[in-house]
Amino acid sequence: MMSLSLPLMAAVAVLGLLGIGLLGLLVTRNLIKVVVGMQILVKGALLALLLAGRLSGQVQTGQTLALTVIVADTIVSVVALALAVQVRRQFGTLDLQALSTLRR
Amino acid sequence: MPDISTLAILSIALPWAGAVLIWLVRDRQPQLQHALAVVFALAGAAAALAMIPLRSEVNVLDFPLGSAFGQVTFLPDGLAVFLAVVATTIGCLAVVFSVDYMKGEKQLGRYYAYVLFFIGSMVGLVLSSNLLLIFVFWEITALCSYALISFYNDDPKAVAAGIKALIITQVGGIGLLAGALFLYAYQGNYDVPTFLAGADRLPPNVLALMAFGFLVAAAAKSAQFPFQTWLPDAMEAPTPVSALIHAATMVNAGVYLLARFYPAFEAVPNWKLAVVSIGAVTALMAAVMALVSNDLKRVLAYSTVSQLGYMVYAIGAGGIFASQFHLLSHAVFKALLFLSAGAVIHAVHTRDMREMGGLGKQMPLVKVVMIIGGLALAGIPVLNGFWSKELVLEAGHEGGPLWAWLFMLVGAGLTALYTLRFLSMVFYGEPRSGQHVHDAGPAMKVALVPLALGTLTTWLLAGSFGHFLGKALPEGHDVESTGALLLQIVTAPTTFVALAVVALGLAAWWQRARLAGLAHSLRGIGTMASNSFGFEAINRAVVSVTEASAESLRTTHNGVLNWNVMAILVGLVVVLVILALGGA
Repeated sequence: MMSLSLPLMAAVAVLGLLGIGLLGLLVTRNLIKVVVGMQILVKGALLALLLAGRLSGQVQTGQTLALTVIVADTIVSVVALALAVQVRRQFGTLDLQALSTLRR
Repeated sequence: MPDISTLAILSIALPWAGAVLIWLVRDRQPQLQHALAVVFALAGAAAALAMIPLRSEVNVLDFPLGSAFGQVTFLPDGLAVFLAVVATTIGCLAVVFSVDYMKGEKQLGRYYAYVLFFIGSMVGLVLSSNLLLIFVFWEITALCSYALISFYNDDPKAVAAGIKALIITQVGGIGLLAGALFLYAYQGNYDVPTFLAGADRLPPNVLALMAFGFLVAAAAKSAQFPFQTWLPDAMEAPTPVSALIHAATMVNAGVYLLARFYPAFEAVPNWKLAVVSIGAVTALMAAVMALVSNDLKRVLAYSTVSQLGYMVYAIGAGGIFASQFHLLSHAVFKALLFLSAGAVIHAVHTRDMREMGGLGKQMPLVKVVMIIGGLALAGIPVLNGFWSKELVLEAGHEGGPLWAWLFMLVGAGLTALYTLRFLSMVFYGEPRSGQHVHDAGPAMKVALVPLALGTLTTWLLAGSFGHFLGKALPEGHDVESTGALLLQIVTAPTTFVALAVVALGLAAWWQRARLAGLAHSLRGIGTMASNSFGFEAINRAVVSVTEASAESLRTTHNGVLNWNVMAILVGLVVVLVILALGGA
């Protein structure tokens, strides 16, 4: 039986989270789901930072950066969700396609 | 006595500090704003003048900016200090002139802040010896120029002219930035003296790229062919700004750049020929356009373009001293011409020369100083423009091709012709406008008189000016005393040829009634010249092509998040593929 080392498992998890997050952003048109997809994506990035810290022997740098990302990411999602609430109240929809004003 | 590096910083920082202060004063206290502007412009000029005896041939001040940005270094040698002095003293006179010209104008804070910001940046541009820093200052001057051209921002013409100037000088800025990055790539730092001392260490093709990049930058900044179209439009700016930025200082930055880097690029094949050709074509073409324009400030703008052409031509022919000497003369007499034109425009409230005429009686002082400036522009002995133009023509005769020299000669004749044309349209003949004309204010006169005196006397400084530039001139430039230099000009055969051509130009204006047939047959050229020889059409074509392609690219910006994420993913894949291929 192939032994799964911790870094390898972590790497698989990173790729999986990034993939799921990107897929979510790629296919969904619901603003709430976009925020969820972004969250999953960022969690993948977080794990990647920790993994990189461990592999390069700079565990503390990795953890510091991860903490920074957690703080920034929380703010982003809070603001995004607050915006989503306002968008729903103002426009009555969360469909990005319908909300887009950039179209010709 | 402060040392040179302190003075260098002061001459940049004082105008900048003034800019910030005036901005903070707000527009409710115009008297305080006028006073602050004059005080800080004077202080900057004093700091720059104090650098004259202290100039140094090596870098002063070494302030590290960290990693790739290199050090803040200044090289206050003769060339740099000379231009810093020109920028600050003429800047100071333009500010004094503005006290009358801009009286009662709204938003004085914005005006003076940008003028002082410009003066400081121009000093920084010429003093810096870090090429990246030169680029930064270069762009700041372009920004100030844009903001001041568009100063009357409720006038769409002024806004359009500002944007045009900004875009065209940015195109040139790319050449300068590319040159700076090449220098960093091959030399490891941005130090200009190191580069000038051993330019042959760079591969020849890289050196050629830098040389032509700098030529594009200089042509755009100094409004040379084919970028000349922005300068006449820039005349929407308040007239003191036209005198300062678009005649005496910023447009000289291109000439400065070419002169500074001449020793490095001299040996690049065809570079000198390209410089000579650009100068000659510009000088002649702009002179023709000056002949047909009816807007007083546009005539002066075209003549600025033409005279800058003379300087560029002289550099291409190897006459660095001649070009810098002409720069000095031109800065003085063109600032004088612009400021007196400002006084005239202020008095009659129009720029159209067909509505002027007979103004000599109402504004005698302005008439006298403007005629002095005009005769210097035409190259009449013994004003400063005569000596420097003859030096340029002599340098061109020795170092440039014959066709270019003939271009310049014809240009000199046309210069005399259009100078007489605008002087007589403004000051002589019957008064054509029924408006009440008021004479120039006291602050205007205070600014005009020193410039008129300078126009009469700066040529006496020829010899000491040569010594002053000193090592900034390339090797083999023998510096002579004023007497020897003037004697050399007086005895040179080119001088008499040029004088004859100038006299021909004057005679052509005198006898213009008899030459009506000739003028009629040349009307085609005149029409082409009024249409700026088709360059405006080229500009419009560039703009419409850009707009059309941007419009068609809008389909990619559909605002659908999924498409954007898709594009990011595709980009990621492309990068990964490139990395994989590159690593293999």
